Amino acid sequence: MQQLLNGIFLGSIYALFAIGFTLVFGVLDRLNLAHSAVFSASAFVGIELVARFGLSIWVTLPIIFVFGGLLGLVIERVAFRPLKGRHDAHFAGLISSIALGAMFLALLQAGFGPDTRRFPPDAFPQQRLEFAGAVFSVLQLVIVVVAFALMVGLTLMVSRSRLGRGMRAVAENPHAAAVLGVDVDRVTALTFALSTALGGVAGVLFALNVNSAQISMGSSIELKGLAVIIVGGLGSLPGAMLGGLLVGLAEVFAVTYVGSSWRDVIAFGLLFSILLLRPQGIFGARQVREI
Amino acid sequence: MRRLSGSIAGAAVLALALSACGSGNTATTGGGGGTSALKGTGTGDTCKITTPIPIGAVFSLTGAAASYGESQKKGLELAAEELKAKGGVTYDVKIEDDATDPQQGIAVFEGFVTKDKKSLIIGPTLSNTAKQTDPVAQEGKTPVLAVSNTAAGITEIGDYIFRDSLTEGAVIPQTIKAAKDKFGLSKVVVMYSNDDAFTESGYQAFKKALDANGITITKTITFSKSDTDFRAQLAVAKASAPDALITSALIEAAVPLVTQAREVGITVPIIGGNGFNSPKLMAGAGKAADGVVVGAAWNSASSGAENAAFLTAYRAKYSADPDQFAAQAYTGLKLVDAAVRAGCSGEREDIKKHLAELKDVPTALGKFTMSATRDADTPAVVQVVESGKFAVLK
Amino acid sequence: MAGFLDSYASTITFMALTGVFAYSFYAVLMAGQLSLAQAGLASAGAFTSSLVVPAAPLFGVIPRLVVGIAVGMAVGAALAFLLGLPVMRLRGVFLAIATLAFGEVVRILLINQSWTGGAQGLSFPKLVGIPEAWLALAVVAYWFWRLGGSRLGRALAAIREDELAAKAMGIDVTRHRMISFVTSGAVAGLYGVLLAYFVRFADPNAFGFSTAVDGLVTAVVGGTTLFIGPLLGSTFLTWLPELQRAIGVEAGWIRPFVSGLLLLLVILFLPGGLAALIPHRRRRAMAHPDAPPDLPPLPAPGTPIASLRAIRKEYGGVHAVRDVDLDIAAGEIVGLIGPNGAGKTTLVNIVSGLVPPSGGEGTVVGIPLGSGVPAHRIALAGVSRTFQQIKLFNRLSALDNVLVGAHRVSRPTLLRRMVLLPSARRDEKRALGQAFAQLTRVGLADRARLPAGDLSYGDQRRLEIARALAAHPTLLILDEPAAGMNHVEAHRLSVLIRALAEDGVTVLLIEHNVRMVLETCTRVVVLDFGEVIAAGDPATIARDPRVVEAYLGAEDDQAEPA
Repeated sequence: MQQLLNGIFLGSIYALFAIGFTLVFGVLDRLNLAHSAVFSASAFVGIELVARFGLSIWVTLPIIFVFGGLLGLVIERVAFRPLKGRHDAHFAGLISSIALGAMFLALLQAGFGPDTRRFPPDAFPQQRLEFAGAVFSVLQLVIVVVAFALMVGLTLMVSRSRLGRGMRAVAENPHAAAVLGVDVDRVTALTFALSTALGGVAGVLFALNVNSAQISMGSSIELKGLAVIIVGGLGSLPGAMLGGLLVGLAEVFAVTYVGSSWRDVIAFGLLFSILLLRPQGIFGARQVREI
Repeated sequence: MRRLSGSIAGAAVLALALSACGSGNTATTGGGGGTSALKGTGTGDTCKITTPIPIGAVFSLTGAAASYGESQKKGLELAAEELKAKGGVTYDVKIEDDATDPQQGIAVFEGFVTKDKKSLIIGPTLSNTAKQTDPVAQEGKTPVLAVSNTAAGITEIGDYIFRDSLTEGAVIPQTIKAAKDKFGLSKVVVMYSNDDAFTESGYQAFKKALDANGITITKTITFSKSDTDFRAQLAVAKASAPDALITSALIEAAVPLVTQAREVGITVPIIGGNGFNSPKLMAGAGKAADGVVVGAAWNSASSGAENAAFLTAYRAKYSADPDQFAAQAYTGLKLVDAAVRAGCSGEREDIKKHLAELKDVPTALGKFTMSATRDADTPAVVQVVESGKFAVLK
Repeated sequence: MAGFLDSYASTITFMALTGVFAYSFYAVLMAGQLSLAQAGLASAGAFTSSLVVPAAPLFGVIPRLVVGIAVGMAVGAALAFLLGLPVMRLRGVFLAIATLAFGEVVRILLINQSWTGGAQGLSFPKLVGIPEAWLALAVVAYWFWRLGGSRLGRALAAIREDELAAKAMGIDVTRHRMISFVTSGAVAGLYGVLLAYFVRFADPNAFGFSTAVDGLVTAVVGGTTLFIGPLLGSTFLTWLPELQRAIGVEAGWIRPFVSGLLLLLVILFLPGGLAALIPHRRRRAMAHPDAPPDLPPLPAPGTPIASLRAIRKEYGGVHAVRDVDLDIAAGEIVGLIGPNGAGKTTLVNIVSGLVPPSGGEGTVVGIPLGSGVPAHRIALAGVSRTFQQIKLFNRLSALDNVLVGAHRVSRPTLLRRMVLLPSARRDEKRALGQAFAQLTRVGLADRARLPAGDLSYGDQRRLEIARALAAHPTLLILDEPAAGMNHVEAHRLSVLIRALAEDGVTVLLIEHNVRMVLETCTRVVVLDFGEVIAAGDPATIARDPRVVEAYLGAEDDQAEPA
């Protein structure tokens, strides 16, 4: 039971990271590899806000949401929009976002130094809960709830709201969307902003959860994030949630029953076999597209 | 293309110019005997050398290991400042970054050996980088003093390679012995990150020491050095109800590991190696750190004169507590100074000769003797965290 | 210069090694595939070589490094092949991530092995220096240079630009992708061995995700369409930190920042990578009146070319084609007309093998139709086509497009090009002559060197025809070739088609321009709702009341192509 919960908690973290990641891919067909840099940067800035300025975590989270969103706008403007219309935009976008991510991380080190940082111990209520013999913290519960709420909220937004309709139109065919009066640039920028805003919140919650934030924390979760969005189905929000949980559970059970040395072999083996059996992922309905 | 080849040509010209300058300054180095700008008069404290001794240091200032490199840089700069104030012999210390990339480490080493003709190189930060860079120095007959490498097979690279960092193998047997005496351990769980050379060496040392002490390992659990969520592994560890949790981890993993272990209800002692010997442990883990046993090469609580002076100076300069990396880097340059003064020469061969002969030098790490295999021989210490502070385990 | 060599010996060596690694990415990128398994393959190659490299030269003569390289490359290639078997059907980002997962699994497996030293790594003797590294790079670069202008190289470029069109030109896409995959694996293995025997050490962790990404970045920054690209990329990225040190940029965060910035600038302002800075070498002007020579004769008029019986195709309950019988004999110009959605394109997709029929039987140029028959086999047997929605290889020149079309009738030249055999040159000249003749035929000879994507719409239509003709087809399928043409151009096209028929080419023409069809074709088939509603000579069809009702009545909307 404890391990089941551990898997769910771990998976929710993956899902939180992946939901933003998959949003950009689903709508714009682009992998934003600077997403992990936003994840790290938001954690560090969040820590600064709480530790230096004494803000409550509940005030910090909305600020970080905005901060992450701003970084997303920068990423879109600097690393992706200039590539519009270029035939190698897919590859070039990968590289330009890697480059911009590296610049963010360098600035992060300039601002905060290379040391591991963490939230002050009282930043979040430390209460423990017990359920069916398993122990967990309020924070872990909050993470699961937040991840789930974001997934549901975003799915609703994409299917109901005006922006969501714009997103779907752009995802389907940017040219047609432009003809139909959708402001493609605006929808693209907002999608990026929303995606990285979620990445930022994920970074803060992650740092709280493991009591540690490092500059490289984003790159270690990035690989898992890729696995999650593939397992769940590229561009699918419920898929990202389910994929996160699946990968999290697979890892925890690998640790428990197979041996911890083989944990990542299991995780990546799962990814590999899903790709072969169902390349579109569990929830993916979209056609395979070239990157 | 034109722009690029232009800049390469530019680099070539620059390099030639630099190497020309370098050889102009130190035209007589490497020759050994005879008169040299790097040779002085007097011995020990009276030694006077007019030319600053060129020392190169290679640390990981960016990339994954940047936090260690940063500590090392601080320790080294502090030592350089103190030595400058002392006078007689001064050091021209050039600290370079290998970006946690062995390839860049090799390039920097090569520059130090061939172009800049450094008398000695301190570093690099990581053992696996050292295995690739140190052969370059060995071939170039340039002494290297490792101040953080703890893996096996470093000083074996050649007779120019020295280190002042005590290996896990030297520290851990004492730790296990002391912990067994204190807590009466009979069965333990071992956790370590199996994708890092340092922590893997630590695991080997633990295993050997545990076997030697007749302590049963009920479970061995591995993780990855970049992991920060250990709840699944800790649940497995808890299930086998050990007398202690033995861990070989770097400080980045140690803090979340200790915090989460207490969180899931593991109350038995947690025993760690050199990786745990950092004030960051208490700063990060808070109360959870209490009861953690740390076997280490540097006793931060030691009241020896050198250590007390180091602590005071470090706190004054950086308004923070030093960690073991800083202490070892600081001591490194002090040892180099001792070796230079012993022969009153900054020549490579002389430094090499006298580094090997260091004996009972009082340092922040305790009395330091260079062993016959060019390894550190300093006292190890077993500490326990008590109300947020390291204390010697008795 | 000697001082420079001494001071920068390792950087100069790394420049070559990084270049070799970048070529392992170039090998797949040039075929439009993104693989990230190379780091794992390099690692496997390096560690395996440590098991077999002898302590002294093998048999006293074969240098130790050569043994290591042979084993490393073999292991890299073999693993790439094994990996390729299941993942070859994946594309794009899916392929990238599957290969990435494979690379990570290799890394973790190697860490958990004792013979690799695990995290402690393994020591290697130093067998590689500047000469060995640069020699290896030179060989690899030479390979890709010669590959570029070979038949295989063009086929790979065609796959990169448009897989479907490549298939329709007779290129076995799966096999060619596998070739590029295995080449990539071999080069990655070579890199692993060279690196380990240069730095004298390897640990499995050094070959992780970030290593793979570095290799990709090197290749893309250099440029993935010109063989010199990886070399430029490695020059740029290897010297960047060295240059920063030399000009005294302070160690610390500023260096990765500057590197990131420069990388970003290169990517944003140099589409096509650093190789874009190199002026394109102009192919010498060539008019080859002696070509085309000994092409096999086309079937005699009247020989059955295609024969379909009760062919059906359903898409999720929608009957696109139902029970169509169709016979085409050599020398005919068969027109296929019908309203939008009548099933014309589906039918020609079936005939050209791109779509398997759901039922019925058929034989095209001697090949039976069915789901197990790949399109390239039908293309190789002599069916060539154009597409309703133009599918050119946009980044290739018009001439190269036509050369790819000649894939079917040209011979492989790669191996002969490697050893600079004059016969390869002769073959290439012949193919060039053949290609040029087709370009001249459609009136594009003066635009031969322009990238296909830069041509006007009408020119692109004509180029597609030239490309299809270059295959020396028995059956030429033209899918709305006159779309977007004015009536003068359409008339010229009609003249061209009839001239082709006189040369013995059988033509299947789909067109909305009914006047043109009636003017051009010897026989007309009318489709409506997936069924043949009429067939016969143009004069009969024009009078058929069913046709007039179903189709000709709606003739006015021809101005709006589907």
